[in-house]
Amino acid sequence: MRWYRLLGIVVLLGFFLAAFGGAYAQKVTVTIQDYFEPASGMAKFVDRWAEEYMKKNPDVEVKHVYIPFAQLLPTILQQALTGTLPEVVMADNPWVPNLIKAGVYLDITDKVKEWGWENWEDFFKGHRDLTSVDGKIYAFQVTTNNLALFYRKSLLEKAGIPEPPKTWAELKEVSAKIKEALGIYGFGFCATASEEGTWQFEPFLWSNGGSLLELDQKEAVEALSFLVEMVEKGYTPRDVVNVSGQGDVTQWFINGEVAMMENGNWEFGWHLTPDVLEKLGDVGVAALPVPKEGAKPIVPFGGECYGIGANTKDPKKLAVAWEFLSFIASADGMLAANLEHGGLPTRASAAEKIAAQKPILAPFLEQARYALPRPLVGGFEKYPDVSSTVWTAMQRALTGMKTPEEALKEAAEAIRGLFSPEEYEAYRKQARELIAAAAQ
Amino acid sequence: MTKRGGALPLPGRMSVMKGTKVAYFFLLPALLYVLFFGLYPLLYNVSLSLRDVTFITYIQGTARFVGFGNYRELFANPIFQRTFSNTLLFTGLSILFQFTIGFLLALLFNRSFPLKGVLQSLIMVPWVLPIIVSGSFFRWFFSDNGMLNGFLLAFRLIERPIPWITSGHLPIFSVTMANIWLGIPFNFVLLYTGLQGIPEELLESAEIDGATGWQKVRFIITPLLRPVILATLTLGCIFTVKVFDLVWIITQGGPGDVSHLFSTLSYSLAFNKLHFGKASAVLIVMVLVVALLTALLNLFQREV
Repeated sequence: MRWYRLLGIVVLLGFFLAAFGGAYAQKVTVTIQDYFEPASGMAKFVDRWAEEYMKKNPDVEVKHVYIPFAQLLPTILQQALTGTLPEVVMADNPWVPNLIKAGVYLDITDKVKEWGWENWEDFFKGHRDLTSVDGKIYAFQVTTNNLALFYRKSLLEKAGIPEPPKTWAELKEVSAKIKEALGIYGFGFCATASEEGTWQFEPFLWSNGGSLLELDQKEAVEALSFLVEMVEKGYTPRDVVNVSGQGDVTQWFINGEVAMMENGNWEFGWHLTPDVLEKLGDVGVAALPVPKEGAKPIVPFGGECYGIGANTKDPKKLAVAWEFLSFIASADGMLAANLEHGGLPTRASAAEKIAAQKPILAPFLEQARYALPRPLVGGFEKYPDVSSTVWTAMQRALTGMKTPEEALKEAAEAIRGLFSPEEYEAYRKQARELIAAAAQ
Repeated sequence: MTKRGGALPLPGRMSVMKGTKVAYFFLLPALLYVLFFGLYPLLYNVSLSLRDVTFITYIQGTARFVGFGNYRELFANPIFQRTFSNTLLFTGLSILFQFTIGFLLALLFNRSFPLKGVLQSLIMVPWVLPIIVSGSFFRWFFSDNGMLNGFLLAFRLIERPIPWITSGHLPIFSVTMANIWLGIPFNFVLLYTGLQGIPEELLESAEIDGATGWQKVRFIITPLLRPVILATLTLGCIFTVKVFDLVWIITQGGPGDVSHLFSTLSYSLAFNKLHFGKASAVLIVMVLVVALLTALLNLFQREV
């Protein structure tokens, strides 16, 4: 009878499906979530690791999920609320203290102890401070960046300047000469209404011994007054308050509209790629100018951190996630990742190796040793508030709506109002100590 | 059914009742849609605006209920006060100029002349361009070293660049100008379509009676166009109060928070400062302002 045969086939098919389905269900899926664009160096690096790992471990599926930058924080928020955090959670470094406090990351201190404490101690202090709380470790920062002075050698030479400026006074002097000789702007920076604006102000503030939590003090007023003077004398375009970001400033620099700029090493992987550098043929990088000779340029650091999502309970998934984390945080893994990504390693041993391979990074690497984590110097989870208050004050002063003193006095009061008196005192002291330690 | 028959026979009534129930059933999908995608987000927003919701309190679910605290703080905040007056100024000026220019263009295009078709499509250009393109253009157009200042300097109309978007008072006017340019096609299209619905004979007979151009506009076109005009103004108000992308691209509400509208302030509070509660409160105020404006215009319409 025909229908008997048909039934047999159906039953058999059912068995196969059940068997395969079962095997599929047994496969462990581990997700790595980050905002590196799929074609970027870091994304390719992570993809390659995932592929190789899956080849060696056929029972594991590693998914690498890309979430656009602007979406990542809302996504993590939603995942944390619904208990669906991925196994590996990446975040931009200023968010990390907040995420740790909100319970997004798993405590990995014991894993690090097993791995070898010397690995942890190899990380620069700022990155250790950022990703740990009270001696407990929650994430690793695997790549970093900071700000230095980019300059066009040929333009400086045309204005009769042999060397890039080292101090604020020299920066002013050099800009005046460039304006006179070439009729272009000497110096560009970014004062946009976003974290980028505050981040570009911080080196001037911190190198002068000032703090985000004491903006009405002389150190802060001097720093902002210096930038305002640069704009008022026509050494810096007033448009700095309205650029869409730091990349716009690089465009001015490439077009020869500004001879020098404050910008970060990520530009080598973005606008100042090797072919552009070759075409310009005269780009140099130096440490950011400091208030007085002999002072150290103290800069904030950027970069991304990876940690393990708090919902990761399954020991097998945990093991895979740790495997990834301890690879990308190892000296060799980090070096390879950053060579491809265009970033700076956060471990002393990896930084030494990258310096030998890419000499143009030298000023950034030197500054990275004592660069500071922004949230810890701006009051932890209140940092977004502090930061927006600072960029607003900066914009008001740069556009002449307020004098630097007035703008900063208002900002200082607003920032003090964010904290209880005890909190404020604690954060103020923490910031002071970190800045003083960096200046040593 | 006729109204004259007095009480209907019972079976007939039953069938009417049944029909109503079935009709309600068919309404269900639309009702669910409105509830889930309209009412729920709105109510959720209201609930957020009454609590102290920040990043951490949101995740931990520990946001305190603060009543109207967020609203009180906002209304005491000079940045919000400025934003409020900015939004009114922005909306008022935008509507005034967009509507006037759109109306004049519609009148012009209501007669035939050479190249009319080409010019008509050119008027639509601002509407066709993605806002990211026109916004980026205006940011450069208004900047200190931008096109507008370059032009004025070249003709020696000014000696130093005017800080269109880099000063305390001008930015809100600059973004308003950009928005007027952007909104003309919308007003033009609606009014032009309305104009074409006015019978030619009316205007012709008025002409025979010796009506001037102004009299035709004042006594024939405007009254007949009234419903279209009110619809244009209502939609214009709703769209303009809610503008976000254009201002965000040109000034990001800056410099120094002087050019915020409700929408940009709310975005900046939510995603720069992570104050979701206050950001929601701003949005609720925006919704109320839009509702108020719409109600006022509706009132106007009913008085006809």
